Amino acid sequence: MVVSLPLPITITITITIPIPHPPSPVFILGVNFNENKLVKKALESFYALGPQTSARVMAKYYIHARAKVGTLAPKTVTALTAELSTMTIENEARKIVLDNIKRLRDIGTYRGRRHAMGLPVRGQQTRNQISNARKLNKIERKG
Amino acid sequence: MSASNCLRCCLLRPSVVGRAGATAATAKASAAATARLRQGMPLAAAAAASFSTTANRGANQKPKPGTKAAERNAPPSIRQGKLFTIKKKKKNDSGARVKSPLPGERKAFRKRILLSNTNALPVPGLTDLGAESMLDPSNVCKVLSLPDDVVDQLRADEAFKTTQCWSMFRKPSILIRTETVDLITRMHAAAKTNKTLRLVLTGDRVTGKSLMLLQAITQAHLNDWLVVNIPDAQELTTACTEYAPILDTEPIQYMQQNYVLKLIQAIKKSNEKLLLKLTTVFSHAGLPQNIPIKSPLMQLANSAKEAEGAWAVFQAMWQEMTAQGHGRPPMLLSLDGLTHIMRISDYRTPAFNPIHSHDLALVRLFTDHLSGATSLPNGGAVIAATNRNNAPRNPSMELALAQREAEQLGGGKDVPQPQPYLKGYDERVEAVLRNVQVIKLQGLSKLEARALMEYWAASGVLRITVDEKSVTEKWALGGSGVVGEMERASLLTMRF
Amino acid sequence: MASSRLGISTALRGVRPSSRGQWRPLDQQFQALQLFNDPKSTRCLSTDAGSFEDFLKTQQDQAIQAAPGINLADIVDFRNISYARAVPVSPSYFSRQPRFNDSYLALQKLMQSYGKLPVVSTGEVERVAWKSLVEFRQMVGERVKASDYVKCLEIIKRLHRIHPELKPPIFVEAFQAFKRDIQPFTNKPNPIRIDWVGRALGIGRRKSSVARAYVIEGNGEVLINGKTLADAFGRVHDRESAVWALRATDRLDKYNVWALVAGGGTTGQAEALTLAIAKGLMAHEPALKPALRRAGCVTRDMRRVERKKHGRVKARKMPTWVKR
Repeated sequence: MVVSLPLPITITITITIPIPHPPSPVFILGVNFNENKLVKKALESFYALGPQTSARVMAKYYIHARAKVGTLAPKTVTALTAELSTMTIENEARKIVLDNIKRLRDIGTYRGRRHAMGLPVRGQQTRNQISNARKLNKIERKG
Repeated sequence: MSASNCLRCCLLRPSVVGRAGATAATAKASAAATARLRQGMPLAAAAAASFSTTANRGANQKPKPGTKAAERNAPPSIRQGKLFTIKKKKKNDSGARVKSPLPGERKAFRKRILLSNTNALPVPGLTDLGAESMLDPSNVCKVLSLPDDVVDQLRADEAFKTTQCWSMFRKPSILIRTETVDLITRMHAAAKTNKTLRLVLTGDRVTGKSLMLLQAITQAHLNDWLVVNIPDAQELTTACTEYAPILDTEPIQYMQQNYVLKLIQAIKKSNEKLLLKLTTVFSHAGLPQNIPIKSPLMQLANSAKEAEGAWAVFQAMWQEMTAQGHGRPPMLLSLDGLTHIMRISDYRTPAFNPIHSHDLALVRLFTDHLSGATSLPNGGAVIAATNRNNAPRNPSMELALAQREAEQLGGGKDVPQPQPYLKGYDERVEAVLRNVQVIKLQGLSKLEARALMEYWAASGVLRITVDEKSVTEKWALGGSGVVGEMERASLLTMRF
Repeated sequence: MASSRLGISTALRGVRPSSRGQWRPLDQQFQALQLFNDPKSTRCLSTDAGSFEDFLKTQQDQAIQAAPGINLADIVDFRNISYARAVPVSPSYFSRQPRFNDSYLALQKLMQSYGKLPVVSTGEVERVAWKSLVEFRQMVGERVKASDYVKCLEIIKRLHRIHPELKPPIFVEAFQAFKRDIQPFTNKPNPIRIDWVGRALGIGRRKSSVARAYVIEGNGEVLINGKTLADAFGRVHDRESAVWALRATDRLDKYNVWALVAGGGTTGQAEALTLAIAKGLMAHEPALKPALRRAGCVTRDMRRVERKKHGRVKARKMPTWVKR
């Protein structure tokens, strides 16, 4: 954009604005990300991949903290996918959690029972505010 | 009380309804009665059916058929009053939809730099800076304007900041301070003897450090120096731009390709004339484009089109620009925000260890020149300005600068010593700043303040008579003449 | 005491001054008994209202006694006297407010005698705090009417205006009963001195801030707690109010200020400085006082944060009203 001011002295102010174009999606581990998404956020969208791990993964491939998915080189994207595929994330991580709950239930522990009943497991009060426990605590836990 | 409630309680109270049927006593009751009459129900039956002595039972009672309709059809009661209804917001039907700004437009608007204001008065007798103006002590306490071509160059260098009040005046102009003359004289003395001036501008908040840097850059452009300016060191160390390791370096260094590409473009734009004139003297391998010897430096600069090979091009350019004995002009290497490069950066190694700022190649280039480890063979200056706003705490830098300052004043005993119980001193920082000159900026003198205020008044921005009294007043309100504070107290009064 | 007594009764009274009071024993009163040879001259006027201490003492020492019998033979040879009666010392003896009436009459007498003397203008009169009606009533123990007391005070104030050099010494005693025990106008602040280096130390307070400002002749430099004005106060308004005393009098370029402030917030500190600097400045140039007063720099702003009360959310705010 060029804005010329009606001045005796001619000063042109050039403001360059990135021209928006339809975002091309980037696939990381088979998931489709908008190219304007932060890499950090994209990584953290995987189950069992938190801020610590994402920071370490990014450091491993020289990705700076505020990098966006669209700026990653294809090489890096494949490397990231390869890296993520070796990690226990998503279904594997979910399965571990389920196994743990199942184990507790099978042994017949109090914690296992609480899971089965959909109640808080760690001695919280049950009068109020147990919606999270109701939502999550199940033998076949989702999420 | 809403109408429906009224009606219900009327219906539930047989005495009232009964009386209503007989005498049509109250308005409420009569309303209910008329409603029932309209539906062809006998009044007495209605009364009997809804007989109840307790409110509780009445509440649990099933609504009779037609009751709701009765309520709906009943004319509004006198006692009902006006109902408060929230109107739906009218949609803008005029067709002119407000366009939301494009991505990046808001940021561009926020970061834009306006250097002129047509509403401001042109200051009579305002002369342009010449190549020697800032060397002349008789120009102290004078406001001089920047020549147009230099303005363009400075803009390319990003030497103007959004926080400075350029947009209030007709033409960008600067005040020549005693410190300016001091700094420029030192620059010239260094350039004459092919030496490198290594200097740090420090001082309190808004004392004019960045502006002093701008004056140095202006002087460099006016005297056809090569200028490499890093406008905000923060961008280098806060992990907001790409980085990559440089092979064959020990300890490993990191290049910042995208930033370097941007820097090359800035250098290209601001030093256009010189780069066209100067020609390459070395042959460079590993560039994205083959550049034969004796081709203009501009061609070399143009070869950096992508971030990929930018660092190699920058290295080649640096080698060319600092080539000795080929009639290269002196060079100014300047950086604003020294505090940011005197700390551990936010970048991480693959092993997740933090990277020291001095391990970033571009920062290393600057610090090596600042510390004197390498020098500019054609003479010139390496100038850094500290920053106080949004600055990380940096005890080593503060201590080192205080020590240098004390040493310059010749105080043997008064040189500050490190505090024994304070952690966080950084040897690498001390090493860089062990041997630099320091100019500490303070408030303006009264004469300088007066010159500045006269310029403001002549521009029509300051609407008071400038005399001894008003100058002292603003000078005192600005904390003994701190420029930015004076500006706040006199020009930006509407902001607070 | 004696000088305030007028008339012939003087000779016959005052035998026992310690026992003087409103309620005199009869034997003493009897001394005032006179032959009515010259009725005019026997109209005696007692200004002897007595002091409050005397009054109290009389009340304590002497319970009301019956008058002793009159032994006429002891006193005078009354064989040749055709008519005699007992006359009370004070003509207001039988009124409801004898003490007040006595003093009122005495004042009227003084007014008659000295009312023509030249007076000074109201501004020059020495300021005296007179007793309020309630205080006076408490002192005399009588139900003095407000309108009477006002009239009385009017006379006093008029008499008080008489030129100090011509004021007869009786006045001191006559006014004593009407003066408040504590005279606030005699409290004079210690004048601020300029020390050997030329500094004047002014102290100012506002809200919970205290400021000490050393004002010295100079060129307009201000240091507050070792910091410049801009460093000490981030808000431009606070900076302006801190040096307002100097600014309002156009003395900003003629004095330097070195100040210490503690306590409170920025507004309090800035306005405490206003007062402190104004006081220091007044020590240098007392003539600036009216100008400074017009600029609002002389009076200490006594407003403080109002205390919170029980049953309220803040000082005044009531808890939300709930129906039940």
